[in-house]
Amino acid sequence: MAQTSKPKSSRQTPKSTKQTKPDSKATHWRPSLMLRHLNKLRWLSLSVVFLMLILLPLLSIYQNYVAAHAYNHLASSEKLLYDTMEALTSPFTSDPEHDLDIIKGTTWSGQLFGLKLSDPLAVVNQIAAGLEFYWPFMLTALIPVLLTLLLGRFFCGWICPATLIYELNSNLGIWLEKLGLRISHRRFDKRFKYGVLAVGLILSTVSGTVLMASIYPPAVIGRELYFSIALGGFGGGTVFFVITLLFDLLVAKRGFCRYVCPGGALYSLLGRYRLLRIQRVVENCNDCGKCNAVCEFDLTPMRDNFGQECNNCSACIAACPKEAMTFVITIQDQPEQGVGHHSRHYRKAHHKTNTLDTDDQS
Amino acid sequence: MNRRSFFYRISRTLALITLAALPYALSRLLVPGSSQAKPKHDPRINHHKLRPPGALADEDDFRTACIGCSLCGEICPPACIQFYHRDGGGSANTPYILPPDKGCILCGKCMEVCPTSALTITASQAVTMGVAQIDRLACYPWVDRGVCGACASICPLGERAIGFEFANMYRPVIKSGCVGCGLCVEVCPHPSLPIRIIPLSPTTTLHAG
Repeated sequence: MAQTSKPKSSRQTPKSTKQTKPDSKATHWRPSLMLRHLNKLRWLSLSVVFLMLILLPLLSIYQNYVAAHAYNHLASSEKLLYDTMEALTSPFTSDPEHDLDIIKGTTWSGQLFGLKLSDPLAVVNQIAAGLEFYWPFMLTALIPVLLTLLLGRFFCGWICPATLIYELNSNLGIWLEKLGLRISHRRFDKRFKYGVLAVGLILSTVSGTVLMASIYPPAVIGRELYFSIALGGFGGGTVFFVITLLFDLLVAKRGFCRYVCPGGALYSLLGRYRLLRIQRVVENCNDCGKCNAVCEFDLTPMRDNFGQECNNCSACIAACPKEAMTFVITIQDQPEQGVGHHSRHYRKAHHKTNTLDTDDQS
Repeated sequence: MNRRSFFYRISRTLALITLAALPYALSRLLVPGSSQAKPKHDPRINHHKLRPPGALADEDDFRTACIGCSLCGEICPPACIQFYHRDGGGSANTPYILPPDKGCILCGKCMEVCPTSALTITASQAVTMGVAQIDRLACYPWVDRGVCGACASICPLGERAIGFEFANMYRPVIKSGCVGCGLCVEVCPHPSLPIRIIPLSPTTTLHAG
């Protein structure tokens, strides 16, 4: 196969022959090298979202100062804030009091250039609480829902401000293990979170309040950052969030996202038939198991087990040394493809059949 | 079980309990005001926490509609909107305005930004946050302790909502146009705040003039 494909490419573009090494055994299909850098892009995206959640309350304070014409009455630290925010925003706007309203809010609900966006969980939970449909609010979740149908649980991996903290937290767990602390890695049933979603919705209906707002980490984080920066004090959500961090660190790695998060449950259900999926290229795989080790959601990419829980975070693509992980556009995962073609087991089996064939001929 | 593993277990349990208590200790440290004693004569205790303008009339409806996104607070120009925390019970994360802290300027931004039906766009004259009430036994002009008129001069609705008693320039009187924004409470110079906002309920009646 390699023999046939190589001359073909050389005929088409002479440049590509220079790039492909003559001794490379990767034969059938090479995913683009850029895919390995998607994970860095993801970290950038997570950091940007988190920094925006810190910046927006600061901008909000700045707007309050501007609206009050209060510069001369500010304390020196407040003046510093005023000057910094003025320097940041003056290239874009001459009327910060009103113009800065275009970006407001958190990932739970916010507005972006006149477009109101809400978390699908907020909409679902609000419908459950009130048992009636309020269309203007439901439409704010339209874009996130459509994106989730196409891209799956991408919110969890790419946007959620809690993910940044949780991933750093699991990295901290690895460091603590290196220091010699024993950390338990308990595993529970991943279907528990669907139960949390269902029970939460039922309790919302019974109590008539939007309960998820208090236990859904991205909503909690956005609110707590706003409270702590602009309103001068953390609310009760901080306690909850620290408890989830401790649970992740001491009981189950990334446990809240895996087993409890009701938003993750909803996104998993919505993204069950997503179009964009990560797939293993069995021809390149050498069964090293690095993808299984880095997977934050405890999936086994090496055995083609992605399912609805995969959040397309591309960590396995970045970790793979053989470029055996790639994004594909398909509605179904591949059934298990068996051992990778570069693995010891496969080569042994393959070698045996070859020798058998030659034996038969002779 | 030998003694060594027994002590090991005990120390591990103690360490875990300490870790579990850590968030509570942190929250005690971080939440301002929780550790220090409150002043004895806080005039705010006589005042109601009001919902922002345009809020659904029924309190249960409001709790159902509000998703706790805190957008109204972020966009509020005078930053008068605050939020219930743990003390709010079922109203946790929902907004309120406490007039002695800061009154609403009826700019209407919170109603525009609210994604749900919790705050619906309402004209400033049609807002029903409450209605102001003046304690005529304490207000300075009413007890002839000077001239003031701060409440009447700050009122965003002007003559419709607050005026002066006939034949006395400085004794304020609430009129039927009052929507309960609470700016008058914010500016009242009297330390006991003899003007307050009463939330509207079916039994609330206004004795104008």
